[in-house]
Amino acid sequence: MVKVVTDSCSDITPQLAQELGITVVPLYVQFGNETYRDNVDLSTEEFYHKLGTSKIQPATSTATPADFAKVFTELMEETKEILTITVSEKFSATYAAALQGKAVVKKDCRIEVIDSKLGAGAQMLLVILAAQMARAGASLDHIIDLVKRAIPRIHIRMTFDTLEYLRRGGRIGKAQAFLGGLLKVNHVLGIKDGAAFPIARSRNRAQGMDFLVNFVKGFSQIETVAIEDATTPDDLQSLAERLKDVVPPERTYLSKVSPVVGTHVGPHVLAVAVLEAE
Amino acid sequence: MKADLADGQTLKEMFASGTAWLEKSAPDINAINVFPVPDGDTGTNMVLTMQFALEEAKLNSDDHVSSVAKSLAHGALMGARGNSGVILSQFFRGLAKGLEGKTHFDGGDFARALAGASQTAYKGIVNPVEGTILTVLKDASKAAQEAVKNDDTLVSVLEDAVKSARDSVARTPSLLPVLKEAGVVDAGGQGLYVLLDGALQFLKGESHKIQYRRPRLVVAEAELVPRAAQRPAQLEMPHGYCTNFVLEGKNLNLSKIEKDLKKKGQSLIVTGDDTLVRVHIHSFEPGEILGYATRLGKLHEITINNMDDQYAEFIKMQRERMPQVDIAMVTVATGDGFFELLNSLGNIIIVPGGQTMNPSVRELLQAVESAPSDNIILLPNNKNIVSAASQVQSLTSKKVKVVPTRNIPQGIAAFLAFGYDLNLEKNAQAMEKAINKVRAIEVTRAVRGTRLGGLEIRKGQFIAMLNDEDLIARADKAGDVVLEALGKAGAEKAGIVTVYYGAEIKGAEAQEIAQEIRDRYHTEVEVIYGGQPHYNYIVSLE
Repeated sequence: MVKVVTDSCSDITPQLAQELGITVVPLYVQFGNETYRDNVDLSTEEFYHKLGTSKIQPATSTATPADFAKVFTELMEETKEILTITVSEKFSATYAAALQGKAVVKKDCRIEVIDSKLGAGAQMLLVILAAQMARAGASLDHIIDLVKRAIPRIHIRMTFDTLEYLRRGGRIGKAQAFLGGLLKVNHVLGIKDGAAFPIARSRNRAQGMDFLVNFVKGFSQIETVAIEDATTPDDLQSLAERLKDVVPPERTYLSKVSPVVGTHVGPHVLAVAVLEAE
Repeated sequence: MKADLADGQTLKEMFASGTAWLEKSAPDINAINVFPVPDGDTGTNMVLTMQFALEEAKLNSDDHVSSVAKSLAHGALMGARGNSGVILSQFFRGLAKGLEGKTHFDGGDFARALAGASQTAYKGIVNPVEGTILTVLKDASKAAQEAVKNDDTLVSVLEDAVKSARDSVARTPSLLPVLKEAGVVDAGGQGLYVLLDGALQFLKGESHKIQYRRPRLVVAEAELVPRAAQRPAQLEMPHGYCTNFVLEGKNLNLSKIEKDLKKKGQSLIVTGDDTLVRVHIHSFEPGEILGYATRLGKLHEITINNMDDQYAEFIKMQRERMPQVDIAMVTVATGDGFFELLNSLGNIIIVPGGQTMNPSVRELLQAVESAPSDNIILLPNNKNIVSAASQVQSLTSKKVKVVPTRNIPQGIAAFLAFGYDLNLEKNAQAMEKAINKVRAIEVTRAVRGTRLGGLEIRKGQFIAMLNDEDLIARADKAGDVVLEALGKAGAEKAGIVTVYYGAEIKGAEAQEIAQEIRDRYHTEVEVIYGGQPHYNYIVSLE
């Protein structure tokens, strides 16, 4: 059976990873000299608590080639085929690290590495699709074909109260068009060509949430949906409630942004990702 | 050929004389302007539109009346400002159509052309309202047609038309309740009557008299609510040099500085305290202003701009700054704070203008042509500019969508709703949706005493309009009007209230009002410097 590997930028919860047999390689968050494995040594709640109380701004670093090599070596005990799906290489060097990790392990296992060109909930939906196909017994080539065809059908929208964290971390991309506004606004961004892209703005958070709901409702056929929050579980529940008639709960995945993603998006963000039916 | 047959040069002279007569009446007409918006600019808008029409006709040396009428129509279209200006441009379009192919014209031709002009003007307005310039035009054209039956000389036909126009103006308050309540006749109708009357004076060889007299406002036929003394509205026409500086000194006397500078220019704004004073003034003699100020203290941040150059530079700079984009946005705004705010939110071409200074069709067209895209979204931000903006669509090869924003908060909401991943049509739709979610309160001083929306208003009182339509509050203090209006507009249910304060308001005062809004309505409040003239506060509820 094909084994699916991804990185922690996919925001896949440990429970879901275990359920679907997905191996998640964590990136790292550093507060000064303290280093934490993303979602392993530090949960999202703990991270935001630290973010709010620490004087030090956190930084992130990629998973190392050795981390991937170790995971690949362990998985090779039980499989001859590994598919690794990473966060967009425009957000992180994790894709390059996975390729190097692959290069250092023994060659009697086929390891494929795909750049999802996505991140967060959008990357999650792609990884879930791959894992479900693997469990159904699909061949590696078949899964790769499906995954590559699914990438352009995955869309994400994320609302921000502030773009300061995205700017500070240098991941703002074309959304810098939204910077410098003298008016307090809620920003909606998406991911285009693997990078952050400006979508729309509104005067308040409620309108931003309406935007997310209407965005999902705009699709005629949806396979899966991911909904995420950072520090506002009530808003997450309210989004899920408003979308439950659009996509059934068994195809809706609720999660939180991981500490690494959180370092770059800041508190208060909300996101929805959609995998459109083919 | 009949002796009194007139040619194109005569038509030009008629309306030149009419415009001169109208110019003298403009302040009076501004002062009685209550419909559709009591913004005191109808007279100004009509004069400006006529000036464009004449300028275009002046360049035409053709004697054929058909050709001159066409020039007048084209000029009026390019220069049309405000609702009355747009109707005037429709009037000239109809007139030109009626005189098409003619070298000369007599009273009969003129009467038929007037009838066509009246029809064209009615067709050009989505919801024609009686008791306005439209009614006056219709009545004048009917009288002209009647007159032809007895005597078809041009003088006689126009004489009857003018007489009928005057009677029609007198009847406008009986047709339009808002006029009756305010105790005035219709401003646009008065303007048309004066224009035709001036034309008649030329035909009678009496135009020299225009020099020494001024037109009188028509007295309403029906009994009116007695009205307070009127004050001519101030014209906000930029001209000369826009001069700005900060004056640093000791024991500066703000009110004395204001009094002294008032004589030296227009659009004067003096703010600050006894050690630091900021001055803004439009003047032909900036040197004199600075000379005066250097005697009082040290000068900082001096800027002097030629306002005519400034506009051309402004457009040029905006074009250079912007790379070609899929969809470009053009908007209308006034106030340095709003310029800065809009520019901070993204690329947008701003045509300076707004209340009491509607940009012409030509200015809007220039901005559209200079925009770095073939797909344009135009946000007029004023009820009176919407129709001028719509005219632009037929004058350019670019694809232009007008999102009919009626005030600046709607314009900002529309601008923010711009979707980077949407096409022109979808964007226009998204923006129209967004503007329905914002309500705007505009606070200004009443230019004269009146009755509106059942409220008695004294001259100089602060009044608040909701969505440019309903007068919802009045009080002696600006802050009280803001608070009362917000209550009536349902502030406690708004997600966010934004207070844009004008050029004459101090930041600290605006912050105080914001705090009162928070305390009273428990809503999020943001305070932004708009720097707009005319409105002390513009408040949006979203």
